[in-house]
Amino acid sequence: MKKNLLYPLFCLLLLCCWTTGQAQDGSSLPSREDADANAKVQFNGLGRTILNNTSIDGALLDTDTTTARRLSDGEFLLDVAINAQPNDNTEVQGILRIRNEFGGFFGAGVTVEVRELWARGLIANTVSYRVGDFDHVMTPYTLFLADEEGTVNEPEVFRPQKEVIEYEQFYTDNNSRRLQGAKLDFGLAFPVILRDMKAEGFVARIRPTDFFTTPNRFVGGGNLDFSTRSLRDSVGLQADFGINLSSVWDDLQTGAVTSGITNQVISVDFAVHVFENEQINVQVLGEAGSSKLDLREEEKTTFTEDDTFLEAGVAVDLKASKLRLSATYLDVGPDFFSIAAQSKRVAFNNNKTFYNRIGNQRRLRMPTLFDLGRDRALYNFQLSEDLMAYDPRYANVMPYGKATANRNGLQFGAVYGDETSMFDAELGVALLSEIRGQGTFELKDFRQIRLAANVHLDRILNWEKTTKITLGFQQEQTDRGGVEVEVVDLSSTLIEVGLEAELFNRFDLLLGAKMLSAEGRDYVPVIEAFNNIEDFPAPFVADDQETMIGAGLRYRFKDDVYLTLQYQQFSLERALDPTNDYDLRQVFAQYIMKF
Amino acid sequence: MKNSIVTFLFLSLVVTVFSTCDHDTDQFDGPNLVDRFGEFQLMEPLVINRTTVDFSAGEDVRMTARFNKSVNFTIQLTGTESGAVKLINGFDNNLDETNAIWTGGTTELPFFREELVEVELLVPEAGPLNQTGTVEIVGTKTYEGSLFTDFETPPGTNIFFGNFEFELTNNTGRRNNGLAAQGDWYYLFEGTDNVVPNFFTGLIDIKSTITGNTYAPVPTTAPEDLYFNFFLYADGGPHGIAVVQFVYDSNNTGAFEDGQDATFQFAGDYPLNWVGWRQFSHTMADVGMTEEQVSKIVAIRVLLISDMNSQPSPPVPVDFGIDYLTFTAGRPLEL
Repeated sequence: MKKNLLYPLFCLLLLCCWTTGQAQDGSSLPSREDADANAKVQFNGLGRTILNNTSIDGALLDTDTTTARRLSDGEFLLDVAINAQPNDNTEVQGILRIRNEFGGFFGAGVTVEVRELWARGLIANTVSYRVGDFDHVMTPYTLFLADEEGTVNEPEVFRPQKEVIEYEQFYTDNNSRRLQGAKLDFGLAFPVILRDMKAEGFVARIRPTDFFTTPNRFVGGGNLDFSTRSLRDSVGLQADFGINLSSVWDDLQTGAVTSGITNQVISVDFAVHVFENEQINVQVLGEAGSSKLDLREEEKTTFTEDDTFLEAGVAVDLKASKLRLSATYLDVGPDFFSIAAQSKRVAFNNNKTFYNRIGNQRRLRMPTLFDLGRDRALYNFQLSEDLMAYDPRYANVMPYGKATANRNGLQFGAVYGDETSMFDAELGVALLSEIRGQGTFELKDFRQIRLAANVHLDRILNWEKTTKITLGFQQEQTDRGGVEVEVVDLSSTLIEVGLEAELFNRFDLLLGAKMLSAEGRDYVPVIEAFNNIEDFPAPFVADDQETMIGAGLRYRFKDDVYLTLQYQQFSLERALDPTNDYDLRQVFAQYIMKF
Repeated sequence: MKNSIVTFLFLSLVVTVFSTCDHDTDQFDGPNLVDRFGEFQLMEPLVINRTTVDFSAGEDVRMTARFNKSVNFTIQLTGTESGAVKLINGFDNNLDETNAIWTGGTTELPFFREELVEVELLVPEAGPLNQTGTVEIVGTKTYEGSLFTDFETPPGTNIFFGNFEFELTNNTGRRNNGLAAQGDWYYLFEGTDNVVPNFFTGLIDIKSTITGNTYAPVPTTAPEDLYFNFFLYADGGPHGIAVVQFVYDSNNTGAFEDGQDATFQFAGDYPLNWVGWRQFSHTMADVGMTEEQVSKIVAIRVLLISDMNSQPSPPVPVDFGIDYLTFTAGRPLEL
């Protein structure tokens, strides 16, 4: 009887199906009107040349007899994307990379590798699929790659080097993660109540097995997103909601492996348009869910941990004022653990590619704003099974993005402006506290203020050429009371100022500065496994000042093709250890061509 | 219909909010910062709850003290006559009956006697604390298990002295020179394998009748659960080897008959290469005896061997002491 009912229902669903089409990104097919629409195979790609000269000096170098004062490096690189469409419903693409280190001659230092490979298509004009490399993002708590530290609104002068990092690490504007596996998506339309539903599913291998102690590790999951039709026309009541599942698991069937983990995060997200007219849109939005972590050894669960999270708030769009205001309550449990959302971009423990160790004692040099802006070796897109290290000077309030565990409090936001505004700005304020103490029952209080603003001088002065001032500001304060050893008082301020001025046609002057000051004390935990704190090493005490200034010229041959020549200077001053102050300078030329 | 959906969504939201804000906050994460970085302070001094104690009557000694932070602490109790030492170690900020109680046992042999015991509280990270006290033992602890012999009473004919090659010295025998691991007496072997250089120096056969029974009383006959425990004393001389054999009444005569009854011994013997008393324990399954055999142990033979492969020429004397031979069930004798 049930089968008799299910079959026509299934047929009805199929009839209602509408395809999302080949919506998945990453294709190198040209979107220009002059593209050859009939071509079956096309070649596109990216060429890049970087020549860089870096020097170091300062108090630390006065007695340092081992560190080279000047380094030169660079690369010549060509990524050739070969895109083929064997039929209307299938597309395949591979990116072949040819790279030569600066200083390599006649084949020395040349590498040839495959950077990307995928195929995608449509099954029965209904289900879209993709196999191979793909980018995927879900929600900030399930699968997400949060922004890196050390920047709020990066001055344009520092963007070229950051763009290289983003390209190399497959970072995208929508915080997606680069994965390798397969994904499917399809959509359904409904005649009543619900307007449509979109379903996505994916699975990817994120670590191969060694057949002995390390099992294959996979990440997989999916989401169902629903949109309702208007539920009450008089106020424009309408709801979007979704169910999300993200899971990371080890396949214990491979080799002689007997232990592995499973980390599941399930959530429900929603955005309810409570009231909307031409002037105002009021939304209730948020996400709630839970995480579960299991460690299995010898067919027994030896460790398990679970916790919940909640983000819920109200957003008001004042359409005429181009202003959006929001207030959100946040509660992320102390045991909340989400590998796919908490793995960071910056791996502070990675070796740097230049001046990794300095001084006669060859001490490890701490990553600085200079390194975060330039060194691609510090960046990462892989998933980490332990909470990655962080530097509280750059981010202490939410070092793992919204998915930072053990946080509770309020967030406020304000966004102003659009494409025609003389200035646009985005302000965020977070007033949070710990839920569970670290090393004490006393709880830390966190305060974060972030402001990003762009002043479009060309619009104010009615100039044709692009002239823009960018501002970025972040202030963080962490406090905790208690007895003397428990007291925490760490503050940090990051200020970014930039100018982008088109002096002549396509010829830009770029100026920028970044300043970070950090002062106070905190304890940075050492993570033993997953998110468990093993110890607190010596208190983290800072009285640091980092300053980075940059100036450069850029000529844009056409969109996505430019040459820039820049000078940047960085200084680190540590009041608690002035003998280890140092300066870094770099002069570089960078040519980028996307074709 | 639409109203129902709105209501459902609203209720779902409320339920979600209330169900996701409950977290485990009974503990804090990581080590206590005060323990980790705070300066040590003695909040309450060491207090010993009694001046005399009779362990044989089930009494114990309890010590209390309180610190401002959890630290690694040691309470050291030293017998003023025996030299016995009991160490109580822990990591806490409060000493009480859960972590600072003494029931009469020892950490380093010998056993405590009826004597005055000095008590000292040590906190390594704090340096000298001068937290000391004394307690007098008026009755020693009664240990678990079935005693085979502790040599406290003259054995008479229950011990056969096998000095076949006249290599054992006159010092060999029960000794009462203040060195006993338990009580006042122990058995000392001393000799030189220089008459017939064949490794063998001498032996004693301790008949089970020393217990007042035909066979050695054992608390269990399951060989894998039956532990034999004894203490050996060595002076660090590298050439001596102690051997302990168990004699099974093969012919069911109820008496030890050398050459007729089967013997078993622990593989590897006991090279005497340490200084002082040391406890040895092993199961009877380790020596290869069956359930029937352990119920008919008619004697225990103890031999002194001189390792002629390592001896200089002429060979030097070898010796060892033995004391407190017991059987326990389920686990080795707990000091």
